[in-house]
Amino acid sequence: MATQEQPRPLNPVQSLAVRQPVIAGVLFIAIATGILLIITRQQLLFPFWSSIAFPMLAVSPFIVFALKIPTRIKLLLVLVVILLIIPYLGLKDSFYLELAVQIGIFAAMAMGLNIVVGFAGLLDLGYIAFFAVGAYLWGIFASKEGDTYINQIHAVTTPESFYLFLFGGIALAAIAGILLGLPVLRLKGDYLAIVTLGFGEMIRVLVSNLSNISSDPTITINITNGAQGLSGIASPPLPQFVFDAVGGIANLLGIKIGNIEGITYQFFFYFLVLFIGLIAALIAARLDNSPIGRAWTAIREDEIAARAMGVPLVRMKLLAFATGASFAGAMGVIYAAKQTFVSPESFSFNQSIFILVIVIVGGMGSIRGVVLGAVAVTLLNLQILPNLSLLLNSFKNSNEVSASVQNFFKSIPSQLEPAKYQRFVFGILLVLMMIYRPAGILPASRRKLEIDEQMGKAKDEALPRSDVEPEGPFITEDPNNAA
Amino acid sequence: MLLEAKGIVKKFGGLTAVQGVDYVQEPRSIDAIIGPNGAGKTTFFNILTGIYKPTSGTLTFNGKSLVGLSPDQINAAGISRTFQNIRLFNDMTVLENIMVGMHSRLRVNLIDTIFRLPRFGSQEVEVRRKAGQILDFISLTDKANEISRNLPYGDQRRLEIGRALASDPKLILLDEPTAGMNPQESVEAMGLFRRVRDELGITVLLIEHDMRVVMGISERITVLDYGQKIAEGDPLTVRQNPRVVEAYLGRGSAGSAGDK
Amino acid sequence: MSAWQRAANWTLLYVLRPLGQIALFIVLSALIMSALALTIGFVLRTPWHGISALKTYPNIDLLRQVITQLPNMLVDGITIGFVYAMIALGYTLVYGVLKFVNFAHSEVFMVGGVVGYEVMQFFSSAKQLQTMSPVLLILAMLLTSMVICGLLAVAIERLAYKPLRNAPRLVPLISAIGVSFFLQDFVRAIEALARNQFNLSYPTSDVPLLSNVRFPLINTQILWNGEMVPVATSINMNSVIVIISAILMLIGLNYFVNGTKLGKGIRAVSQDQGTASLMGINVNLMISLTFLVGGALGGAAGVLFGLKTGKITPYIGFIPGLKAFTAAVLGGIGNVTGALLGGILLGLLEAFFSSLLPYFPALGSGYSDIFAFAILILILIFRPAGLLGKKVDEKV
Repeated sequence: MATQEQPRPLNPVQSLAVRQPVIAGVLFIAIATGILLIITRQQLLFPFWSSIAFPMLAVSPFIVFALKIPTRIKLLLVLVVILLIIPYLGLKDSFYLELAVQIGIFAAMAMGLNIVVGFAGLLDLGYIAFFAVGAYLWGIFASKEGDTYINQIHAVTTPESFYLFLFGGIALAAIAGILLGLPVLRLKGDYLAIVTLGFGEMIRVLVSNLSNISSDPTITINITNGAQGLSGIASPPLPQFVFDAVGGIANLLGIKIGNIEGITYQFFFYFLVLFIGLIAALIAARLDNSPIGRAWTAIREDEIAARAMGVPLVRMKLLAFATGASFAGAMGVIYAAKQTFVSPESFSFNQSIFILVIVIVGGMGSIRGVVLGAVAVTLLNLQILPNLSLLLNSFKNSNEVSASVQNFFKSIPSQLEPAKYQRFVFGILLVLMMIYRPAGILPASRRKLEIDEQMGKAKDEALPRSDVEPEGPFITEDPNNAA
Repeated sequence: MLLEAKGIVKKFGGLTAVQGVDYVQEPRSIDAIIGPNGAGKTTFFNILTGIYKPTSGTLTFNGKSLVGLSPDQINAAGISRTFQNIRLFNDMTVLENIMVGMHSRLRVNLIDTIFRLPRFGSQEVEVRRKAGQILDFISLTDKANEISRNLPYGDQRRLEIGRALASDPKLILLDEPTAGMNPQESVEAMGLFRRVRDELGITVLLIEHDMRVVMGISERITVLDYGQKIAEGDPLTVRQNPRVVEAYLGRGSAGSAGDK
Repeated sequence: MSAWQRAANWTLLYVLRPLGQIALFIVLSALIMSALALTIGFVLRTPWHGISALKTYPNIDLLRQVITQLPNMLVDGITIGFVYAMIALGYTLVYGVLKFVNFAHSEVFMVGGVVGYEVMQFFSSAKQLQTMSPVLLILAMLLTSMVICGLLAVAIERLAYKPLRNAPRLVPLISAIGVSFFLQDFVRAIEALARNQFNLSYPTSDVPLLSNVRFPLINTQILWNGEMVPVATSINMNSVIVIISAILMLIGLNYFVNGTKLGKGIRAVSQDQGTASLMGINVNLMISLTFLVGGALGGAAGVLFGLKTGKITPYIGFIPGLKAFTAAVLGGIGNVTGALLGGILLGLLEAFFSSLLPYFPALGSGYSDIFAFAILILILIFRPAGLLGKKVDEKV
C-alpha cells in the first residue's frame, strides 16, 4: 500500500485519466468502437476481439461517469454511445442490438430483484416466476398455438393491445408477488429463500403442465402448450414509415440489410427496453429515497427495531415483493413479444440465480451497481462464453493456424465448450464475491442528506409538545390499515 | 392515567416470566421499574410494546386497549421505546435513523413516492426540519450524516432516544438507558430524560440498574422480582422496603439497597 | 454391573431402541398414508365432488386402483423415504450447529452418486462385476463415496463458509448456492473429460444379484365389488440394500451423536457455541466433524439413490435435495429423529402422488414434484418448527 508521503506512481493510462479525463473518455469509446468497426465475422479472431471491444463499449458509460469531467460532457458521451454508436453497430450486425436488448431486460429485472433483496433484505430465489407470469400472460393471449380453447371462444387479443398488456403484466406480477408474500412473510432469512425457490419451481412446473386442463379425455384444453412452449407470439404492430425509415437510414449509410422487418423490430425493442429500463431505474431510485425506502432499509437492518419504530412489517414487505415483481412482469411481456416464443426452460431456477448474480456482482442495494452487474453478467453469459466456444471451434477447423495448434484444439473434447459452463463461472463468482466483496463492484452508499437551511433555524425552535396535536403533513395513518 | 396494565401474565412454555403484574402510570411522570436480573422487566416492556403477546391481562393506554395490537400500531398509538442492547439501524446515517423513527407519523404512499407529488416534497421538507430539531435536542446535529455504527457508545444511546422521540410519543420506554456509562455520562443522561419530560411533555418509564439514576430521577418506582410486583412507591419508601432489600441483597442481609 | 449387563444395556440403548423407533415410524407413517390414500380413493371415486379437474378417466375406479397399488406404493415410498432421510440428516446436522441451510448439500449427494458410479465402473472395466461378492461391491461403493463426500463437505465448509461465519445470515447462503452451481458444472467437466458424457447409468444389470432377485412380499386377492382384485407386491434387491444400509447408518449416526464424546461435543456446540468453546470444546473441529458426518451420509445416500434409480447426472441433486430439505423441515429442522420421520413421510407422499396423478386427465404425473414444495410451504406457514420440533420465541 502506498502511504500518503509517497503516492504510488501513476501508470500512463491512469495519468491520462487524471490529467485529461475528457480525452481519456473519448479515447476509450473510440478504441472500442474502432475495433468493432474493423473486425468482420469472417476473421478467425473475430470472437476474441468482439468480446473485448463490445464489453468495453457497454461499460464505457460507467467509465465516463467515474472520470472527473463536467456533467454535461458526461451525458453527451453516454448519449452518443447509446443513441448513435450502438444503433449504428446494430445496423451492421444485429447481434449487438440483441445483446443490448438482453442487457436492458436483465438490468430492469435485476432492479426489481434489487428492491426485494437489496433494499428490503428478503432473499428471493424464485424471482424468475414473475418474469414467467408476464411472459405467459402475453404469450397465452397473443399466440395461436396455445390458445386452442381460448380461440374457440374468440377471446384472443390483437397485437395492438400489447401496451395494455404491459400494464396487465405489471399488475398480474404484483398480485403474484403479494400472493407469494402473504404466506411467507413470517419466515426469516434462509427459510424465506427456500420457500421462494419452491414457489418459483411451482410456477415452472405449472406452465410445463398446463397443456391440458380438461377432465374429458375427448377434449384438450391447452393453455401453455407444456414443455414445447408457445410460439408465434405477436409483436406490437409498427407503422409502415418506421420500416421505411430504418431502410432509408441503412441505405444512406450504405449498409445492406436483408431482413428490414427483423432489424426494425430489434430497434423498436432496443428503444422500448431503454425507455422502460430508465423508468424502472427512476422508480427504484425514488422508492429508495423516500419513507418507503428508509422503512425497507430499517427492516433489512433490524426487523424488531423497525417494528418498534412504527414500520408496519407486513405492508412494507408486501410492497417490496409487489413492486419488485412488477418490474419482472413488465419485462416478461416485452420478452415474450420480442422472442415471439416462450417455453418453461426460460424460467428455471438457473435464471433466478442468474439475476441474483447480477444483483450481487453489481452491488446489493445500488442501482448503478445493478446496471453494471447486468452489463457484465449478461455479456459474460451471452457473448463472452459463447464466443470462447466459437473461438475454440474455429481454431479446430481453420486453415489459418498450423496443424499442431489445430490438433491441440481438436484434443479438447467438445463437451468442454465454455458456453456450457455458465454455472461453473457463476458459482465461483458468487462464492468469491461473498468472501471478498459482499457489497459488490459498485456498493450502495448511504446518501449524505442535506438538512437544508431549515436545519439552522431549527435550533431556535422547540420541538412540538406531545400534548399538542401534531399538525400539517404529520397526519397519522389509520393504524387499522396495518395488518 | 396514561397507562394502565392489569393482571399481566406472560408464560414461555413452563416458565412464567411475568405473573399478574398491575401497573399504572400518570401522564408527565418519570417512573422506573427495577428488579434483579431475570425479574421480568424487559419482558414487561416487550409486552407493553407488542413484541410479546401477554398470556392474559389487559393494557389500556390513553383510554384505548392495546391488547392484540402489533408493535407498529402501538408505536402509532404513542408508545415508543429504546432497547437494552442498542438496536440502531447500524448502516444508516444518524439522520436516517431519526427519519425512520417518524414512520408512523408519515403519509406513506406508493403513488406519491413514484410521481413525487407536491405533498411528498412538502412532507420530506417537514421530515428534515423535524429531524433537525430532534438532532439538536439530543446534541447530534454535527454528526447527522455519520453512519450510526461509527458513533461512540454514548452518542448511540442518545440517538436511540432521539429515534424514539421522532414518532411524537406520549410515553417513552427506556430500557437500561445508562447501562455502560460512567457516572459523569449518567448524570448527563438524567438531564436528557428530564428535558424529555419537562420540555416535550413526554411521559418517561425506565428500566434501570444504576440506583443513583433510579433514586435521582424517578417519581415512582415499581420493583419486580421473579415476575411479580413486590413493591411500589416513591424512592424513599421503596429503598426502605425490606422485601426490596431482600430481593437485591439476599435473605438476611441488611443495609441500603441504594449502593449497588 | 457385569460386562454382560453393560453389553445388554448398550444394545438396548443404541441398537434396539433406534430400531424400534424406525419400525414405529415406518408403521405409523404407512398407516397414516394408507388411510389418506384410501380416503382420497374413496372421495374422488365418484364425480359427486363436482370439481372437474379432479375427475378420473372414465371407467377408472380410483378406490380399486388404490387398493391394488397400495402395497407397491408403500414399498416404493419407504425405500425412497430412507434416501431422503439420509440426505435430510445432512441438512439437519449442519442447521443444528450453524443455523444455516447448506444449499450445497444436494451437490454433495450428487457427487456421492457419481463416485458410486465410478467405483462400479472400475470393477466393471476390471471384469469383476459378475464374479465379485455383491456385498463387497456395495461396501466399496458406499465407503469410497462416504469418504470422498465427507471430505468434500469439510473442504466446502473451510473454503466457502468459514470465512463468512460472522457475516449476515444471507451471505453464507448465497455462497452455498455458488458452491452448488460450481460443483454441478465441475463434476460435469470431469465426467465429460473422462467419459465424454455426463449422463451416467449404473451398470446394475451386470450384477445378477442386483438385477434379477426379487422377494415377493404380498401376493393375494381380495373380493371387491364382486370381482377378485389382485393385491401383490415384491421388493427387489436394490431396495433391500437401500433399506438395510440406511438403517445401519442411522443406527451408527444415533450412536455417534448420543453415545460418543465427539457427538456430545457436537451437541454442545449446537446449543451454544460460545459456552461450548469456554468449556474447552474445539468449535471449529466440531463444525468440521458435523460436515464430515453430514457429507458422508449424503454421499451414501447418493450411492443408494443411484442403485435405486439407476441414473445419475451432475444436475440430479437439486430436486432430491429440495425434497430432503422439505423432509428435514417437516420433521423439525435441527432434529435428527425428525429428519428420519420427515424423510419417510415425504417418500410415501411422493409414491402416492406419482402413482395416483396419472389417473386424472386434467393433471397428469407432471405435477408430482409440486407436492413437495406445497408441503414445504404449508409446514413453514402453519408449523415452522416441524412435527417434532419445539416452538422458540425470538429473544429480544
